[in-house]
Amino acid sequence: MSGYPFYFLVTLGSVIGLAVLALVPFYVLLIAGDILMTRLGDVDPFSRSAKFIGLMFKNLRRNLLRTFLAYLAIFVLVLVVTGVWSILAFLDLVTAEKSRDLKAIVTERWQIPSQMPFAYAYPLSQGAPEKEGDIVIGPDDSMTWQFYGGYTERERDKQTRDNLVFFFAMEPRKVLTMMDGIDELTPEQLRQLAQAVEIMEKDKTAVVIGADRLATLNKRVGETITVYGLNYRGIDLEMKIIGELPKGRWGQIGIMNRDYLNDAIDAYPAKHRGERHPLADRSLNLVWLRVPDTETFKKVANQIMSSSAFTNPAVKCETAASGIGSWLDAYRDLIWGMRWLLSPAILVVMSLVVANAIGISVRERRGEMAILKVLGYQPRQIMLLILGEAVLIGALSGLLSATLCQVFVNELIGGVPFGIAFFPSFKIASAAWWWGLSIGSITALLGSIWPAWTAQRVRVAEVFAKVG
Amino acid sequence: MANEPIVRCIQVSKSFRRGSEEIRVLQALNLEVPEGQFLALMGPSGSGKTTLLNLIAGLDRPTSGTIQVGPDVVSAMSENELARWRTRHVGFVFQFYHLLSVLTAYENVELPLLLLPLSAARRREQVLTALELVGLLDRMHHRPGQLSGGQQQRVGIARAIVTNPTLIVADEPTGDLDARSAEEILNLLGELQASLNKTIIMVTHDPRAAARAQRILHLEKGQLVEDSGLAVAAGGAAAP
Repeated sequence: MSGYPFYFLVTLGSVIGLAVLALVPFYVLLIAGDILMTRLGDVDPFSRSAKFIGLMFKNLRRNLLRTFLAYLAIFVLVLVVTGVWSILAFLDLVTAEKSRDLKAIVTERWQIPSQMPFAYAYPLSQGAPEKEGDIVIGPDDSMTWQFYGGYTERERDKQTRDNLVFFFAMEPRKVLTMMDGIDELTPEQLRQLAQAVEIMEKDKTAVVIGADRLATLNKRVGETITVYGLNYRGIDLEMKIIGELPKGRWGQIGIMNRDYLNDAIDAYPAKHRGERHPLADRSLNLVWLRVPDTETFKKVANQIMSSSAFTNPAVKCETAASGIGSWLDAYRDLIWGMRWLLSPAILVVMSLVVANAIGISVRERRGEMAILKVLGYQPRQIMLLILGEAVLIGALSGLLSATLCQVFVNELIGGVPFGIAFFPSFKIASAAWWWGLSIGSITALLGSIWPAWTAQRVRVAEVFAKVG
Repeated sequence: MANEPIVRCIQVSKSFRRGSEEIRVLQALNLEVPEGQFLALMGPSGSGKTTLLNLIAGLDRPTSGTIQVGPDVVSAMSENELARWRTRHVGFVFQFYHLLSVLTAYENVELPLLLLPLSAARRREQVLTALELVGLLDRMHHRPGQLSGGQQQRVGIARAIVTNPTLIVADEPTGDLDARSAEEILNLLGELQASLNKTIIMVTHDPRAAARAQRILHLEKGQLVEDSGLAVAAGGAAAP
């Protein structure tokens, strides 16, 4: 089995496995809560409240199978909501506009993917100054990207995702000044990268490749590979792997000297009866500019977009956040659905699951509710008991689900690589633990209102229905 | 001289509706129970004895008439007032014990005390006293499932007396027990009445159980028809 059914089964299996593993801490928490409340039950002034909460813990252990099933349902649903919300929070973060030290992207105006002539590279890198007084972007504050992808296997029938590698062709030294994520590297990784950049400046064939991609390619630093062009058909490049990029957002990419690609494009006609490569005039994909503030950005964007030098094709200049937003626009319906349909639907399902579990429990315990009433417990106290049981199970399930998900994704597997748009690897939001806590508690509270209401309306005389 | 009545039922009627039909369970019943009396209510099924017990204990309200327990007019109280009143003034003993299965004997007995403003130490003292009175100190950490029927009923009695209530009501307290356990429970109720001067009202079908009471009332069709302590005139008051 392969493809999406396989991924689905693996994901489902992982979630259920995680949930089953999480049964142990859940059960331990139930017992610990009971013991704690029993201890506090002997300590004034908490003693009466502690005994009451202790009764909730004990009631949750009354039918462990039902409690576990409700817990597992909430666990899985909170996990899904946490994942969805983490993705949405991540997208909000990458599309949030910064007011200082922001990056601008220059791309082709009317086409995705953007393909501009390389002749645009130099003027755009400067911010297209044309007259005195125009802003000039410094050499350390710009970067050009050309995308070169290919396979390490020549034969078409052997070309797969596993031997595909994708390079950013750029000025090597810009890696150290302009790439996103450079500040996430350790000093040692930074030192090694600086060394690699130095070599790449001198040797155009030198490349660095992400650790994950190297592993997939089954290659090591020091080896030489030939990459058979995928987007640049007919341009096959021999490359020396001189360094390894760290895992995470860098893990799947490669970086090469742009001069190597451009030289190959220039040399193409000599080997192809004088014909230029089809992408020869469309080899520049993106230009990055760094500007200190919004005001400067507006001026630079105006310089570029009003320039007559960039009309065929026309270009646009936007902030990185806005650029990513535009790119994400293609997924607008999907994201809207995740935010406004999927998440609310899951929350409703969670409430129904809790309502069902607590409803059954209340129906089974009508006699017990009646006894509590006989002993003097007031309707609101009985309602509180039922709501408390629901909130306890919801809160514990939600907290465990989100926390374990966070530990598993962020700490154990180091995040889920996005593999697109040089996004950092996706991680569960740091706020997830309290999302889980509040989602679990609130949905359980909402789901248990009706069962709790029916519990407090139990009529003692009807429950002990004997007209003797 | 007889004690002052602690329970007074004056012209108490209770009826239920079943569809369009009105079922009159109690009809203009009058009753006085002196403080410290052990009273047995007998009668055939449907005669209204459990209904009367529920009304006196504040579990239900009469359709008409007045019920007074001590100085409190129970029939005029709201549901919340009744709940508070029951905690302090009434102890219940049920045929099927009705202990909470998740709690130990100690915790079951403690349950009504959690509603009163008592310190943890004071609560513990009262629970231990009640368990000692019923002879179950050595079983206080057992759950109901680990106790025999007779032991469970004794826990039920300890729960009923732990708040030192004005009145103990018992609905067929020996109905689910074997003869020996039933005898023990009746002895215990008798001792409580004698040593603590508790007023006990017990519903029973069993003449042997009723014989342990100081006074026996017979109900039929919602009316008192016989009072071992007093001749009953039709519709008239029954007093010891």
